[in-house]
Amino acid sequence: MKGLFFSGLLALLSTPFATASTPHEDVLQLAASGNGLIKLNAQTYELLTSPKRTWSASIQFTAMDAKRKCAPCAQFDPQWKAVAKSWRGVPVKQRDEHFFATVDFDDAPTIFQKLGLASAPIVFNYPAAAGERKPASGKTGPIKYDFGDGFDAGPLAEVISKFTPIPVPYKEPIDWTKASLAIVAIPAVLLLLRYLGPVVQNRWVWAVGTILTSLVMTSGYMFVRIRAAPWNGGGGNWIAAGHQNQYGQEVQVIAFIYGLLSFSFLMLIMVVPYQKSPSRQRIQIYLWTGVIMIMYSVLVSIFRVKNRGYPFKLWL
Amino acid sequence: MSPSSWRTLPFLLLVSVTSVFASSKSFENTAIVRTAELGGSVVHVTTTYAIKALDDGQKTYTVALGRAEREKTSFIEAKVKGSKEPLKIKERALDTSKDYHLVDITLPKALSTDKTLNLVLETVQTHATWPSPATAAQNEDQSLKYQTNLLILSPYKTSVQRTKVKTLSPRIISYTTPENAKDLTDKDVVTKSGATVTYGPYDNLPSSTNKEFIEKYQQSILIHYHHEQPVLEVLNLQRSVEVSHWGANINTEDKIDLYNAGPKLKGHFSRLQHQSQKYFNKLSAHVLPALTLHLPAGLSNPYYYDLIGNVSTSNIRIAPSVPKNKQGTQFSVLEIRPRYPLLGGWNYTFTLGWDLPLGDVASYDKSAGKYTVEVPIMTPLLGAVVNNAELSVVLPEGASNIEILEPFPALAKRTDIHKTYLDTTGRPRLTFIYKNLTVKHAESIYVSYKLSWVAHLKKPVAVSTAILGLFTLGMFVRRINLSLTPTRKV
Amino acid sequence: MSTAYAVPTDLPPSTVKNAASLLRIVALSLISGAAIASRLFAVINFESIIHEFDPWFNYRATRVLAAKGFYEFWNWFDPTAWYPLGRVVGGTVYPGLMATSGVIYNILHAINLPVDIRNICVLLAPGFSALTAWSTYMFTKEMKDPSAGLLAAAFIGIAPGYISRSVAGSYDNEAIAIFLLMFTFYCWIKALKQGSALFGTIAAVFYFYMVAAWGGYVFITNMIPLHALVLVLMGRFSDRLYVAYSSWYAIGTLASMQVPFVGFQPVSTSEHMGALGVFGLLQIVAFGQLVRSHVSSQQFQKLLQVSVVVIGLLGAFAFAFLTYNGKIAPWTGRFYSLWDTGYAKKYIPIIASVSEHQPTAWPSFFMDLQFLIFAFPAGVILCFRELRDEHLFVIIYAVMASYFAGVMVRLMLTLTPVVCVASAIALSNLLDTYIDPTEPTPVEDDTKSESEASTVGTNGSNAPAAQAPSGKKIKKAAAAVNVSGSALSDFVAATKATESGSKVKKGIFGLDVRAVVVFNTIGLLAFFVLHCTWTTAMAYSSPSVVLASSGPDGSQHIIDDFREAYYWLRQNTAEDAVVMSWWDYGYQIAGMADRPTLVDNNTWNNTHIATVGKAMSSSEENAYPILRKHDVEYILVIFGGLIGYSGDDINKFLWMVRIAQGVWPDEIQESNYFTNTGEYRVDDRASKTMKESLMYKMSYYRFADLFGGGQGTDRVRQQSLPKVGPTLDYLDEAFTSENWIVRIYQVKKEDPLGRDLKSANAFSEGKKRKRGKPTSRRRALVQ
Repeated sequence: MKGLFFSGLLALLSTPFATASTPHEDVLQLAASGNGLIKLNAQTYELLTSPKRTWSASIQFTAMDAKRKCAPCAQFDPQWKAVAKSWRGVPVKQRDEHFFATVDFDDAPTIFQKLGLASAPIVFNYPAAAGERKPASGKTGPIKYDFGDGFDAGPLAEVISKFTPIPVPYKEPIDWTKASLAIVAIPAVLLLLRYLGPVVQNRWVWAVGTILTSLVMTSGYMFVRIRAAPWNGGGGNWIAAGHQNQYGQEVQVIAFIYGLLSFSFLMLIMVVPYQKSPSRQRIQIYLWTGVIMIMYSVLVSIFRVKNRGYPFKLWL
Repeated sequence: MSPSSWRTLPFLLLVSVTSVFASSKSFENTAIVRTAELGGSVVHVTTTYAIKALDDGQKTYTVALGRAEREKTSFIEAKVKGSKEPLKIKERALDTSKDYHLVDITLPKALSTDKTLNLVLETVQTHATWPSPATAAQNEDQSLKYQTNLLILSPYKTSVQRTKVKTLSPRIISYTTPENAKDLTDKDVVTKSGATVTYGPYDNLPSSTNKEFIEKYQQSILIHYHHEQPVLEVLNLQRSVEVSHWGANINTEDKIDLYNAGPKLKGHFSRLQHQSQKYFNKLSAHVLPALTLHLPAGLSNPYYYDLIGNVSTSNIRIAPSVPKNKQGTQFSVLEIRPRYPLLGGWNYTFTLGWDLPLGDVASYDKSAGKYTVEVPIMTPLLGAVVNNAELSVVLPEGASNIEILEPFPALAKRTDIHKTYLDTTGRPRLTFIYKNLTVKHAESIYVSYKLSWVAHLKKPVAVSTAILGLFTLGMFVRRINLSLTPTRKV
Repeated sequence: MSTAYAVPTDLPPSTVKNAASLLRIVALSLISGAAIASRLFAVINFESIIHEFDPWFNYRATRVLAAKGFYEFWNWFDPTAWYPLGRVVGGTVYPGLMATSGVIYNILHAINLPVDIRNICVLLAPGFSALTAWSTYMFTKEMKDPSAGLLAAAFIGIAPGYISRSVAGSYDNEAIAIFLLMFTFYCWIKALKQGSALFGTIAAVFYFYMVAAWGGYVFITNMIPLHALVLVLMGRFSDRLYVAYSSWYAIGTLASMQVPFVGFQPVSTSEHMGALGVFGLLQIVAFGQLVRSHVSSQQFQKLLQVSVVVIGLLGAFAFAFLTYNGKIAPWTGRFYSLWDTGYAKKYIPIIASVSEHQPTAWPSFFMDLQFLIFAFPAGVILCFRELRDEHLFVIIYAVMASYFAGVMVRLMLTLTPVVCVASAIALSNLLDTYIDPTEPTPVEDDTKSESEASTVGTNGSNAPAAQAPSGKKIKKAAAAVNVSGSALSDFVAATKATESGSKVKKGIFGLDVRAVVVFNTIGLLAFFVLHCTWTTAMAYSSPSVVLASSGPDGSQHIIDDFREAYYWLRQNTAEDAVVMSWWDYGYQIAGMADRPTLVDNNTWNNTHIATVGKAMSSSEENAYPILRKHDVEYILVIFGGLIGYSGDDINKFLWMVRIAQGVWPDEIQESNYFTNTGEYRVDDRASKTMKESLMYKMSYYRFADLFGGGQGTDRVRQQSLPKVGPTLDYLDEAFTSENWIVRIYQVKKEDPLGRDLKSANAFSEGKKRKRGKPTSRRRALVQ
């Protein structure tokens, strides 16, 4: 807070002599006006990334404008802001050595062209190009941040800390809603147990739970989750090409088919024999056998789509 | 040279000297022609002596070899020209003080005065040539050098002698012209025509197995020539032959360490260059892409692998089996492609094996009640010398009073017991050790042994008792009840 | 009692019994035969050879064991691995596999059967698969009956999910582990049912064997306690449980601690704490039971229960505390990554980079288990129907395993057995029902059945409305409607019925329906067999060491480049020449080329691997010092560009970069290896860093020349290469295999004149050079 005040003051002071001010002061001023997160345009970008910079900087290239339809940008922006915000908390001396900035495509498309950026969001870290913080390796070019770990703020802060004088003091914000929910939930569950005792003790509740779990798992749910696979391919195709790949929608379809098939097995085993009347029983048997045949051939045909080389096919 | 021979040396000297002295006027050589056919690691030297007895009842004729040559020679054989069977040979002890070595040949029948006879002395020299230059790049030629003596020594007078050196290709780079041979001949001392260099004819040589002559005339000649085939050496050959009466087959397995003794590869191997050379069919002489072996006819399930498994790049054409008594000329041809082309100085080890129906190689002599098995000592690998060979023959279990008939003596022999395939008492194994084998040595050992019918039954009895034992054991185990309360069943 | 078809009645029961047992034995032996035979594709199509990568190490270790004996093996320090560090093999392997084949080897040689150790190793997995089938039979027999057992045995015998890890030649720990897993479980169930300490002990012994054989033993270590815990929570605690668990845990844990590689983990790591905790809990509960049986006072009962809970909580807290201050090691990375699935990719890229650690898409499930995958939920439900203790085990196993299999492809292996068991239960139930000849007495009155259905059915009330009084067609239709409408109600009814025991007569009317269902089932099974055969032959039977390519005429042509190059190394390089390659090939080089390697498939040292990654991904000048520092003599790279072998190093390159980046983030950046449009290319548009990287240069060195001035194309990347290939200054091409798959380079020694090799090369090629240090040096020399 104090730091903020100070920088504000500094900005105030520097305004009159803006002409005579050093680049660093200008940047400080920008930072102050941007409240720790500089919003860059073409000129200020040049200023911030000037080859004689004694400071380091982390710049986010994004396209927040709605018409750009950049979902990841929107997804990443808050994380970025959070990290930048956490930087404001550090002592002035170190804080003024590193700056966070954002370039929006609509503000300065030229920069994007200059850097040959075709996608967003992108984060470049500019190490200091002069002064004592110039890296020993002498590499002063921008270093791209690898989004391999997703858009989370945590890893981002870690990486940026490599360029800042002191590590970015970023802390995962405690999710109060979750926490409070948990606090409420535990007694609630205990309470429920008192009344739902019979439900909890009913084996068929558990049975259904078990089956649903294993069905979902065996139809590739974890794959979709870990690989963050899209819901579907768009344009109505919901089957991902390739044997080692799948869309979210496939999970449901396959799980349903599996479920239906095993359900009809169960009908044949557990229900049909208890039918009193031969005619009804006969119909049911034919029905469920038919279901098995049809669903199975559907399943195989879907599998043939996934695995081109598969030689077998049932009726379909 | 072993100490024992040291001790006997003076005596031997005496003997040899006297013998030379004695024999020097009992014969004369009307003509001697020596032909050296230069190969890679093997050099065939054929010397024809036209001899004339000067005295009655001459039974032994003595020939002399240069000592260096004797050390290289791994095979000596003397015949009367035109006849098949070799004559008996007795080598004198090697005498390091002289640089010649004498060999006595026993003639088929004593010669009386002025009777003539044509003797053919065949020797095979190994490791007699060396690559020069010692290294060659992948696309360069290979050239070898061979050194030998100019004159053929003999304890007898010689009217005329000449030495021919033949190479496989006419591309002879250089050959020595002897200086002080002028006064031995009136024609030119050396002539080259095509792939042959001829030294001589040199006329009227006195008995030459003495110091002064050798110092005066003898000198070494050096031939530098191109060689078109790779120079191959088998560093080690381990052949194990296993005779089985139950399987009615004889299994042969060769462990071969192959080495390309040509000029070492200069620089590195470039696959690109190799492929283009192969494409234009211009592989250099010292590159061995593949080699062919002649295996016996009628073999079954042949295998060819190395330390890391089967070598997929090989094929075999199996000729039909040939019965024992008939003379089989055709053989199966195995074409081996090593995993990688064998360049100069590269090694490649592999194992090779096959089965043969026992009937093709074994015979049963009713009267003696003995089986006789023919075991070839080696499979000749064309133009290659086998530096060290070990042949082990495993006879069936219970084979008794074994007899061996070998074409030439082995350096070492031993007999021990070898146990495989559910043996109880084990099988007798004979092992023979050889050095520097060449094509000439590719002959067979004949092993004969008795085998009683009881021995045949050994295996089945042993196996069946073992299995019976297992069953009885199982029977008892089944009846052991471990539960504390015998009544309870689960 | 009427029967649907004629059955002989005059057979004495003993005959039936004997015939049945004979049939069972015959069936089992046939199944074993099938299990073994179906794993021999690899041997028949190729040869008796060790497959893939890890097996080569196991094979090598086994050879040492067979040649030098167990103690030598125990103390074996292998200086050639992880050069220059070396590896204490005895203490860092699960010796179970090697010991097993060592024992077999010695037995065979004791009875004078000279079987080559390689063949034992190759055929070990098929042999044990037969045993697995048998133990699965025993296990399922405990669940239902022998007929289900036979089905289960048949399933596991040919299920691709298990074959994938146990074909002849895949000589890996899993080969024996699955048998041990199933047999341990069988013994556990048996012990639980009988409360026999004997079976508990046997279970412990096999658990020990499992611990000695496979890291996956932790699955057992947590499955059995979980089972016990659930039983306790369900109030099914019994002395049988107590005896079984205590005997298993006490002996098993002590035994498992004898394996040096495991050591004190069973008492010091989180993976094993569950077992310990349950052990403690059981003691408490047992004590509680004891006291309860003697004391009657209500308050005391209360007090007791409270104290039990309190002690339990205390234990939990103690565990948490110990973990917190490091007395108990937290979950190891591999296991942790099973729960927090993002973990591995972030923190242990090496584990993430292994293909068999990827999550599983559904086609893999179907490929590996085919119709079992949807038959097995039915089996699980049936387990719920008669919920005996052992059925709980199957249920828990099913849930756990299906989760794990979803997270990691490789754990499909642990799922397969339970899937086989459960679906066997389902199918044998089905067949029992429909083959059973007894016919119930029909009740042809519809209104009755209707009313029944509607009274029973919760939502069946609308059904009667749809009913018409008479007319066969309409009746059928109505019935159909009813069926579809009140399926659930029927289901509930059925479950009720089962609960209310055998009062309800159940059975099947008529022969045709029996035939339909039975034929349908047989059809399923037949299809399954076809599928398994095809999958095994196509997908799981190639020994990745030898590749097979089929020519246009369908003739099989074998590509043997790997062994060609390895054998060349073995025969024509110095005994102690250090070979650097990416870690995938470490074991193969050690096994086949018999040369020291920098890194191998035992990925315990991230930094060392990252070093290799760095050398591969940085430019020649920067890589050279690294190579020299590690005495690297030869570098081996795999290059598929000529014949389109996709598993080559260029495709793995990004992982090398990532792993290197993990350690040297400021020297290696993954993004530099992409074009600035973010593509991964090797052609003209490839980024500068990419083109200068050692890996790129070694892969494409002189590759362009092969096309004789024509446009060279990379068959894997489907990109056309630059006309002028890369040049090498610090390396020499030493050997390249026939199809260019393996390329070996020799690292040059420093220049005798002390120049850097680049300028030395330039000089020797007689290029025009600006005058500089080298010239002056040289002049000095001349004078």
